[in-house]
Order: sequence, then C-alpha cells, then structure tokens
Amino acid sequence: MEKGIHVVLKAEQLGTFLGLPITNSLIMTWIVMAVLIGFALIFRSKLAMIPGKLQAGVEWLFESVLNYMTETLEDEKMARKFFPLIMTIFLFLLVANELAFLPGVGSIGITEHGEFLPFLRAPSADLNLTLALAIISFLTIEITGIVALGFYKYAGKYVNFSSPVNFVVGIIELLSNLGRLISFSFRLFGNIFAGEVMILVAGFFVAYLLPVPLMAFEVFVGFIQAVVFSMLTLFFIKLAIMDPHESH
Amino acid sequence: MDQLLEAFGIQLPLLLAQLVNFGVLFVALTYLLYKPVMKTLDERRTKVAQGVLDAEEAAQKLASADEEASTTVQTAEKEAEGIVATAREEAGSEKTRIVKEAEARAASVAADAEARAKETAEKSLRESEKEIARLAMLAAEKAMRKES
Repeated sequence: MEKGIHVVLKAEQLGTFLGLPITNSLIMTWIVMAVLIGFALIFRSKLAMIPGKLQAGVEWLFESVLNYMTETLEDEKMARKFFPLIMTIFLFLLVANELAFLPGVGSIGITEHGEFLPFLRAPSADLNLTLALAIISFLTIEITGIVALGFYKYAGKYVNFSSPVNFVVGIIELLSNLGRLISFSFRLFGNIFAGEVMILVAGFFVAYLLPVPLMAFEVFVGFIQAVVFSMLTLFFIKLAIMDPHESH
Repeated sequence: MDQLLEAFGIQLPLLLAQLVNFGVLFVALTYLLYKPVMKTLDERRTKVAQGVLDAEEAAQKLASADEEASTTVQTAEKEAEGIVATAREEAGSEKTRIVKEAEARAASVAADAEARAKETAEKSLRESEKEIARLAMLAAEKAMRKES
C-alpha cells in the first residue's frame, strides 16, 4: 500500500509452458472454462423430462434467447444455428466477468523483483481475450454474410461503383466493419479494466464500505457487457445477411 | 504499432490460445449443454402437443359416450314403459277373467243349491203326500172296522 496504486494494462506473465506464455488471465480463462464445462456435465446428467428449478431456469434462458434470436434474424433455422455461438459468448463473458469478483482474484499473488504478480486476473481485463472474441465474432459475421448472399453480392456492399455516393457509403461501411474488431475488443476490455481500476482506487482511499456500491455496479457492468457483446454479434449477423437492396 | 501491442500485452501465442480456448468451450457447451437441453425442450414440446391432442380426443370420446349412454337410457326407459303397460294390460284382463270365472262359479253354485233345495222340497212333499194317503187309508180302515 505504501507504494501507491499499481495499475498494469497488460496481463502479468507468471511463467512459460512449451513456449506459451502463461499469464494470470489465461489461468483465469481456464478456470472459467472448467466451471462452465463442469456445470454442463453435471447439468446434463440431471436433465429430466420434468424439470427441477435449475433446469427450468436454464430452459427459460435458452428459450427466451432463442425466441429473441428468431425474432431478430426472422428465421428459426438460422437462429438455431447461431444459438450456440451467441450463448457461449454470453455465458463465457458472464461467468468470466462475475468470477473476477471472487475474493483472491487480483489480490493473491507473489512479489517478484519488487513487482506484485497476482495469480488470477479477470479474463476480460486482458486485451488478448477480448481481441480473440472480437476476431471470432468478426469472422462469423463476415463468413455468414458471404455464405448468405454470395461473395460478389456481399463484396458489393462495400465496393460499389454504381454511383459516387454509393462508393463512399460502401467505403464507410467497410471501415466501420473493420472498426468492429477494435470497438468489440476495446469496449469489453475498457469496461472491465476500468471497473477494476475504479475499485482499486476507491479501495486505496477508503478500504471499507466505499468499494461496495462500486463493486455492485461492476457486477452489473459485467452482466451488461456480456449481453452487449453477444447481442451486437447477433445484430451484425442480421445486418450481414440482409440483402443490400433491401437495406437501402 | 509494436508499442501499442506491447502496451496491451498482445502476443500471438496468447491470442491463439484464447481463440482455441473459446473454440473448445464452444464445442464442449454445444454438445454437453445446448444440444441436450434443446432436445429435451423439443421432446417436451411434441409430448405436450400429443397430450393436448389426446385430451381433445378423450373429450370427444367422452361426449360421444355420454350421448350413447343417454340414448341407451332413453330406449331402455321406453322399453320399460312398454313392458309395464303390457303387464298392466295383461294384469287387467286376467283380473276380469278371474272375476268372471268366480262370478260364473258362484252362479253355478247358487243354481245348484237352488235345484237341490227344490228337489228336497219336492221329495219331502211327495213323502208327506204318501204318509197322508197312508194315514187316510188307516183312518178309513179304522172307520170301516168300527162300522162292521
């Protein structure tokens, strides 16, 4: 505490395994995966025709999301195809963001060369993860657009020589599409990282009580960011499969 | 650019690792969670639809059974009425027959009794006539004896 606030923009490296740098956020990602897969395994073994409370809750979640996706994409087959991706993004980010509030994440670690290295770090507070998710989302959107419309028609959305206005609009669309990579990754990273810094700063000034409402707010932010990431992916998929002549 | 990547700690191996992580999670959850749950939901939906159909069918069957029962009861009632009516009729005719028979028998008994009474009276009359004649003869004898 005497050293003041120590804010690190990047995830700290704890070691190297077969050339892969092991960072604290990578370890946390594995924990999140283990939690989700473990839950899925237990849940699947208890799946019954007459649902219990937990099963009813999960079913309610899945059905509402699927209904919402069907409404958005206006196609139930399409919604069912993209449901696993959207749901995985949502569940992964939700669990990752909320698990980061467990005591010990970011506070238990070792001090090496006068620098504190926490063992665990919120996965979304590492740009590697958010960029990876953004790439997955981006590729899904673009490939879906190409598959749905055909390469030339889809490319025609962005490179259009029919008129000067259309050409400029196409270039702007192309740039905004590429910009999604950055907006996707930095929105999530910025929100979660800023939340951590804010709690850290508040805790530095008043260690008791003051961080509580901030933490409550960050729990909410963590949920919202999970929703935003998955919903934006859904909306961009819808935009990509829309016929360019209908959208204008 | 390199400085930017360095500042945010972006490294290609880490990026790939996270891509693989998400891929693994995606596949695992798809097969462990989404497919089974969706299957259960679909199964339940078909089952509920079947249940609704069955209930409708059962209701229909019940209605037709009710109708059948009421018609059966109606015919049974009609039949019973007919049976009662014929029985009553038969009972009436039997009664008159019995009464008639009884009357006839009574009449014959009465006639018989009258005839017998008449006969008895006649017989006694005849006997008394004979007696009177005998007595008269006796008296006449007595009188003749006295005179001789």
